[in-house]
Amino acid sequence: MTFYQSEIQKIKNSCYANTTQIQKVVATRKYIEEHFDKPLNLDSLSNAGFTSKYHLLRLFKRYYGQTPMQYLIDKRLEKSKKHLKNGMSISETCYLVGFESPSSFSTLFKKKLGSKPSTFQKKQFSQSRSITDF
Amino acid sequence: MKVKVLSIPVLDQTKALAFYTEILGFVKKVDVPLSEDSRWLTVVSKEEQDGPEILLEPSPKHFEPAKTYQKSLFEAGIPYTQFNVENAQEEYDRLAALGVTFSIKPTEMGTVKIAVFDDTCGNNIQIVEML
Repeated sequence: MTFYQSEIQKIKNSCYANTTQIQKVVATRKYIEEHFDKPLNLDSLSNAGFTSKYHLLRLFKRYYGQTPMQYLIDKRLEKSKKHLKNGMSISETCYLVGFESPSSFSTLFKKKLGSKPSTFQKKQFSQSRSITDF
Repeated sequence: MKVKVLSIPVLDQTKALAFYTEILGFVKKVDVPLSEDSRWLTVVSKEEQDGPEILLEPSPKHFEPAKTYQKSLFEAGIPYTQFNVENAQEEYDRLAALGVTFSIKPTEMGTVKIAVFDDTCGNNIQIVEML
């Protein structure tokens, strides 16, 4: 057994021994993956049957290192990048990935990804055009 | 600051390029000759070609401490870095069928499933599926 294999075993025993908790957070993440375009919040995730609101928040943060809502935002932004690359309009993209207003979507997009959705989309088009030009 | 390039030390750049493109499925992005036997050589993920580049860096060849560090990590089974995959078992099956050697077969670790393989260039590399 290598040093890494024994370390992995130790971490598994010390950090991931509670399989019930792990099943709950894994189920929560899967639920977010499948429903990211719906109006999700801590209440709805909790009501989806996984566990109480604050317990869920604590567990998700403990095992995934971020809150369910942070994870949801990242998921929506990742999906929105794909739609924008495919030429979808900003407002259509915004609603399709579950955000409620194009202006807050635009602000969040810039804050997290460094440019406004419109700038991001223009950059994608100019990149793909320069590839076709060659 | 932006993360654009991450490096992996390799013993042989030509061999590394073949492994990272033909076996792992990355795509060559930049290849600039720097000296007789060194290149600025990067690859990117096929499905995220505007994402971070991996520099296949020949440091173990030119800098003895880098070689020692790489060798020590390898012998301890410690991954030099890790790549995310959609499905660790499927990726393991695909790579194993291509002759890639794994020191850790797909194993659940709480909220992830991991596996570790030998990149044939001096490193262990971990693949991770988020569960």
